[in-house]
Amino acid sequence: MLPSHAAPPDDGAGKADAAALVAALKRDVPARTPYTEVRFSGMLDRPLILHGELEYSGPGKLGKRVDTPYKEQTTIAGSSASVQRGDRPPRTFSLAQAPELEGFLRGFSALLGGDAVTLQRDFELSASGSQARWQLQLKPRDDRLARRITAIEVDGAQNAPRCFRTHEADGDLGILLVDTLADAKLTTRPSPAQLDALCRGVAAP
Amino acid sequence: MRTRRAVFSVLMLWVLALAAVALFALQHLHISTDLRSFMPPPQTADQQLLMDQIGEGPGSRLLLLAITGAPETMLAELSRGLADALHKDTRFEQVVNGAFDASALDEQLLPYRYLLSPTLDTHTLDAAYLGEQLQQRVEDLASPAAALLKPLLARDPTLEVLALAERWSPPKPPAVRDGVWFSSAGEALLLAETRGAGFDPAAQGAAIDALEAAFHALPNVGSATLTVSGPGYFTVLINAKTRGEADRIGAVSTLGFILLLLLAYRSLPALLLAGLPVVSGGLAGIAALALAFGSAHGITLAFGFTLLGVAQEYPIRLLSHRRAGEDALTSVRALWPLLATAIASAAIAYLAFFASGVGGLQQLAVFTIAGLVVAGLSTRYLLPRVLPVRFRDAAATPGLAAATRFIDRVPRPRWLPWLLLIVSLIALWRAPGPLWENDLAALTPVPQDLLLRDAKLRGELGAPDVRYLLVLEAADADGVLALSESLAPSLDGLVKTAALDAVELPSRYLPSAATQRARQVKLPGRAALAVALADASRDLPFRPDLFTPFLDDVESARTLTPLSAETFARSPLGARLASMLVQRDDGWLGLATLSGVRDAGALAAFTTSTQGRARLLDLKGASESLVAAYRERILRALGLALVLLAVTVIVALRSWRRAWHVLAPMSLATLLVLVVERASGISLSLFHLVALTLAAGLGLHYALFFERPVADAAESRRTLHATLVCVISALLVFGLQALSSLPVLRAIGLTVALGVGFHFCLSILMARSGSVKD
Repeated sequence: MLPSHAAPPDDGAGKADAAALVAALKRDVPARTPYTEVRFSGMLDRPLILHGELEYSGPGKLGKRVDTPYKEQTTIAGSSASVQRGDRPPRTFSLAQAPELEGFLRGFSALLGGDAVTLQRDFELSASGSQARWQLQLKPRDDRLARRITAIEVDGAQNAPRCFRTHEADGDLGILLVDTLADAKLTTRPSPAQLDALCRGVAAP
Repeated sequence: MRTRRAVFSVLMLWVLALAAVALFALQHLHISTDLRSFMPPPQTADQQLLMDQIGEGPGSRLLLLAITGAPETMLAELSRGLADALHKDTRFEQVVNGAFDASALDEQLLPYRYLLSPTLDTHTLDAAYLGEQLQQRVEDLASPAAALLKPLLARDPTLEVLALAERWSPPKPPAVRDGVWFSSAGEALLLAETRGAGFDPAAQGAAIDALEAAFHALPNVGSATLTVSGPGYFTVLINAKTRGEADRIGAVSTLGFILLLLLAYRSLPALLLAGLPVVSGGLAGIAALALAFGSAHGITLAFGFTLLGVAQEYPIRLLSHRRAGEDALTSVRALWPLLATAIASAAIAYLAFFASGVGGLQQLAVFTIAGLVVAGLSTRYLLPRVLPVRFRDAAATPGLAAATRFIDRVPRPRWLPWLLLIVSLIALWRAPGPLWENDLAALTPVPQDLLLRDAKLRGELGAPDVRYLLVLEAADADGVLALSESLAPSLDGLVKTAALDAVELPSRYLPSAATQRARQVKLPGRAALAVALADASRDLPFRPDLFTPFLDDVESARTLTPLSAETFARSPLGARLASMLVQRDDGWLGLATLSGVRDAGALAAFTTSTQGRARLLDLKGASESLVAAYRERILRALGLALVLLAVTVIVALRSWRRAWHVLAPMSLATLLVLVVERASGISLSLFHLVALTLAAGLGLHYALFFERPVADAAESRRTLHATLVCVISALLVFGLQALSSLPVLRAIGLTVALGVGFHFCLSILMARSGSVKD
């Protein structure tokens, strides 16, 4: 199943092995990390930048808190998502209304849980780079998901991810900066290229 | 001189004639299963509405579906698959499973969303409101909901489509998990509305079969099971159950009947031939229905064949009364005056049913009269010509002489009938429970566990009650919608005070033209809206020309003619509204369904406060009043029938005294049946009345033949033989029915069996002339 260019993780100078990389991502739950999210959308003439905290509390359980520029708490448990903003009552909807979304979140949750088996069921994995600076690419196997999301790229260093880039089929792009990049200083209108460089560590501090 | 050839040709001609009649009847008689065609013409407005709505009402066409037995995600997939399959099936008006369908509002109706959604009642499309909405859309874009909302955003930034979808989902929808409805017990739930009437077993049977087939054709059904509930399902279930049990009982009793006749006459040919008159009568009855009406109700046929049971007596009398060495034709000539009296009096009595003016009863009269007359005539003119020449004289049956002697010796105190009459009247007066059973459903009860499951599913789905409807009256469809809007606040109040769980008004689907115009007036012009939009999105990251489709839609909404009920009803979403609006000669009716009615009194009080513009229709109450009105007609017809019967018997016998000997035991026996049933707490229904009529017809025969003066003891024995064969066969057939687990079969069986017993005993006591010595 593994792409041919993947190599064992222990070969010192080492190219990265996808499954081993994923396995190394496993965290004790609950795992929390601050994040900065930048979303580029065809509907928007400048990117949306959010700051907050991500929480992973076990398979299928994700939380995302937005602190700025507005307050929002999204909780995903199994196949239902609830979104609460300000003091309004939470809005709950089912992820199955958009099955592709469910696949995406399942993949995301498997990634954070270090569950390579689940991840490989939904995505084709490939890895590149070295142990110190690796990239993981996920391509959806499911057609419905592929119609919505073309690829997810994860950039990381050692056993920590730094950056999740979600390429949507309509050209929209979501970039999630976590861990050491969560507090990275950004310009008011960052470009995808700037963020790519940041993720790949070219312009990293 | 009878030759073998002559016998054979008569028989062939007879059988061929029967085959021809059967063919004709099959081609020309349409059998309807819709309960309505058996009902009397409605008298009151409520009864009229009931006839329109029975089975057609929005509530009674709903089937409640639950899928269980698989993991939740699989159940959700099956639910979606089933809904997709049924959407394509013309037998279903609509199928809902909770899945949000953004394409539900078709393209042409999309601009109408600003007139249909209540948003503009409380907001205007100004910079402040748009700003608040657009800010939320920004947040939506960064949330998991983005995938759902992105396709809508440019055209519908205030998400009116979602507001409408929410408004049009059932009043109290079940929890949505995995995108579809789930019960608290973890079953996937669906609602399917059939096109066919709820109480039409044929239409419902076809719909349920299609449902099962669609479910089993789904991939991955695996161990999952589909359960169905609702009025239509119960109709089908009970029909099948009643038919199944009637068939089983019929098979056993037919076997017993054949054995009995073989024992009585020791001749297989005689047995087979004796069946021909009844078959002829039945086919003649069906042919008469085909000629006179072209169609008949299933119930008419069932009742008709029950009443035609009398005709089985004719050949039995002929077989039992044949004298040793006598030609069958000679025997039948001697019997015919009495047989003709019995047939004529029954036929004349059934004329009263014809005069009742109730379609179902008229059909019953035509069927029964034609059947009895043809069965009688074929017994008189055809049967004797084909019966075998060799036979045993029934008078020689072992034990019969002793039985006759025993009956001769039975004391016959003259005071006994009078005492019975007085005791009966007292017992009848003191009998417990209501005299009449008006709830026909009580006779064909749905098993308790299924009713409980239905109530549970109904509660979970928030599906409307089948029993109550709120009826709104106005001059036109728009008037109904306006009335519906004006009543909504008070009804919401009743929901808050828990008088009921929810109400589904027609205006929920379509506002009145006035309301639509009021909303339309609030829509800003294109330029003003563009300015407000620019103002609202000044600090937001939206692309400047993103909302052009929104501007276009609002602009076209400003000049739309308000959506009429007629136009809306033609759209896929309008089916629901169409079933809630009924056009009548003098105006329009709106039917609002109610769920979880707890305080019918509070609802009734509310309707009186509307000065009659809204009425609470209790379908159960209306159907019971219809049944009561129906029974009244039957009782009147029966009364008239009794008078006609008495007159015919008096005229035929040309003697008051002899007529009394025939009519008195018959009447008293009928009364005794009533007394026994009432004293044991049984309330009487239509089925009891039909069974009483059959028993009285049989009793008439017993009394007529016992009363007949006979020449010798052998003939007296033959009379007893014939009567015993008739009584035992009737007791066999109807006694078995009396043991049935189904109340409707029990009602008929018990009444006829009791009746036969009483008629027999009282005929011996009161009708039988004294013994004749050899």
